[in-house]
Amino acid sequence: MSATTGLPPAARRRSPLARLAWSDYWSAVGLPGLIFVILAFGVPVLVIVVKSLTDPSPANYSAIFDSGIYRQSVGNTVQMALVVTGLCLLLGYPYAYVMARSGRILRTTLMVALMLAFWTSLLVRTYSWQILLNDTGVVNQALMEWLGVVDEPIHMIRTKFAVYVGMVHILLPYSVLALYAQLRAIDPDLERAARGMGARPWQAFWRVTWPLSLPGAVAGSVLVFVLALGFYITPQMLGGAQNIYIGQAIVLQVEEFLKPGVGAAMAVLLFAVVLVVLGIAARFVGLGRILGIGEGRGK
Amino acid sequence: MKAGIGVRLFACLIALLFVTPTLIVVATSFTSGTMVVFPPNGLSLRWFEEVFADPEWLDAFANSLQVGLLAAVIAMLAGSSLAFAAGRGRGIPPGLVTALAVLPMMVPLVVAGIGFYLVYVTIGISGGVAGLAVAHAVLGLPFVFVNVLAALKGVDRHVEEAARACGASQTRALVRITVPLIAPAALVGGVLAFVSSWDEVVIALFLNTPEFRTLPVVMWGQVRSGIEPSISAVATLVTAVSLVMAGLILLGPVLRRKLRSLWRQQ
Repeated sequence: MSATTGLPPAARRRSPLARLAWSDYWSAVGLPGLIFVILAFGVPVLVIVVKSLTDPSPANYSAIFDSGIYRQSVGNTVQMALVVTGLCLLLGYPYAYVMARSGRILRTTLMVALMLAFWTSLLVRTYSWQILLNDTGVVNQALMEWLGVVDEPIHMIRTKFAVYVGMVHILLPYSVLALYAQLRAIDPDLERAARGMGARPWQAFWRVTWPLSLPGAVAGSVLVFVLALGFYITPQMLGGAQNIYIGQAIVLQVEEFLKPGVGAAMAVLLFAVVLVVLGIAARFVGLGRILGIGEGRGK
Repeated sequence: MKAGIGVRLFACLIALLFVTPTLIVVATSFTSGTMVVFPPNGLSLRWFEEVFADPEWLDAFANSLQVGLLAAVIAMLAGSSLAFAAGRGRGIPPGLVTALAVLPMMVPLVVAGIGFYLVYVTIGISGGVAGLAVAHAVLGLPFVFVNVLAALKGVDRHVEEAARACGASQTRALVRITVPLIAPAALVGGVLAFVSSWDEVVIALFLNTPEFRTLPVVMWGQVRSGIEPSISAVATLVTAVSLVMAGLILLGPVLRRKLRSLWRQQ
């Protein structure tokens, strides 16, 4: 039974366009939202594309690949995104596994810690790593004064190491949430059955749980990877000037070099890569799983 | 089957790493000294007093609040509207509506920032609550859309049909029956939209002017010029607001049940 049965008689006398909208009441209700997205999202994206082709010319795209900074930033970014994705999977998997396979108290504790990190502002978390990793920061203080392992501070801030630490801290919750959703959906009886038939714990995990959890691992990793590609704040605050990433390269082109055309071209490429990666991954594990849709959580 | 003890300890260690950095920031904001050190040199509220006496921070606070609230309201209206079209409409393909509604989730902030910057420069508006709120509303819209769409699937169509059978027009049934049923979900999405706006730095940096800065933008500028306990104090306040919002969402259903049972007792 459809709700669109109550067609207003007046609609039949309207113009074809109005009739199309009216014949489907709910599409008409959706029209304001649609207009808003097209104006407030479609237009900016379109303007970037137009700008990249016309300010001054499509040569913007070749200018990107001629510039050493850009080539270097692409390499840095891909490397960083891959390392961060790998680390998030490595650290996030055991965390999600324990959340899915432990008692209520431990699960709640882990969930609260995860949510606290997840909901704390990205800027605040990045700032916290700046405090921790400074030459006079808490980590160096601990190493020198409390533990006495080193005599002089280890230089950590403004290095790739600091960027990786900050990025993993910020992106780890995404991979844990994707993995947890998947692991929780696996019937624990399957592992029990494997054990019952003589599999050792490690075998039961490797042959049963791990393959079943793969979609979650892929979804979480793809999400972390595409988020890492576009990061600006964390690399800018924790990284050094000699290693810049794509996000920073784009801002530099627009604000420092005053070449918005080249910046726009870089932005188009970045967005295109993100969409292609998501599109390919979505064919295998579904977009909903990657974006955490259907869970009712956001961010 | 329970996880082994080694894995559990590992998870607890990660949990500690999740929360420690933020706790250290909070601790450094209560220092009575002038340096950001841990453990803090004595306890005081002087840096909070300093923040609340500084017009730059207060202006930024007010700007962030206005942008966040306006962004949340726009996101709630537009997101719900799209969710109706995707969940029930047939005129516009639901797949297309869904794609348009979740696409803003996937755009890197730098890309969105440069896009809004170019558009606003072209049409000559910059540095205002409305401009930034529209940009943030676009980013927050998917949260509302996803939540409302899920809630809409749970709405019993018979209730609406009963209202229609009793003579209500389609719009009246929508406003009186459907909207109240999806309102809690829209509100959750709205809070998420507020928090994402409250935190957002990149687009806000692109659109800032000396007269119009949000809290994260001022914080960003201050951090770039050196670490001070006042920044820790602001960071503590920013975090507190985000966590209160998270608490509202996570405990919202419980609170609602409590309120309802209180209501019944009276």
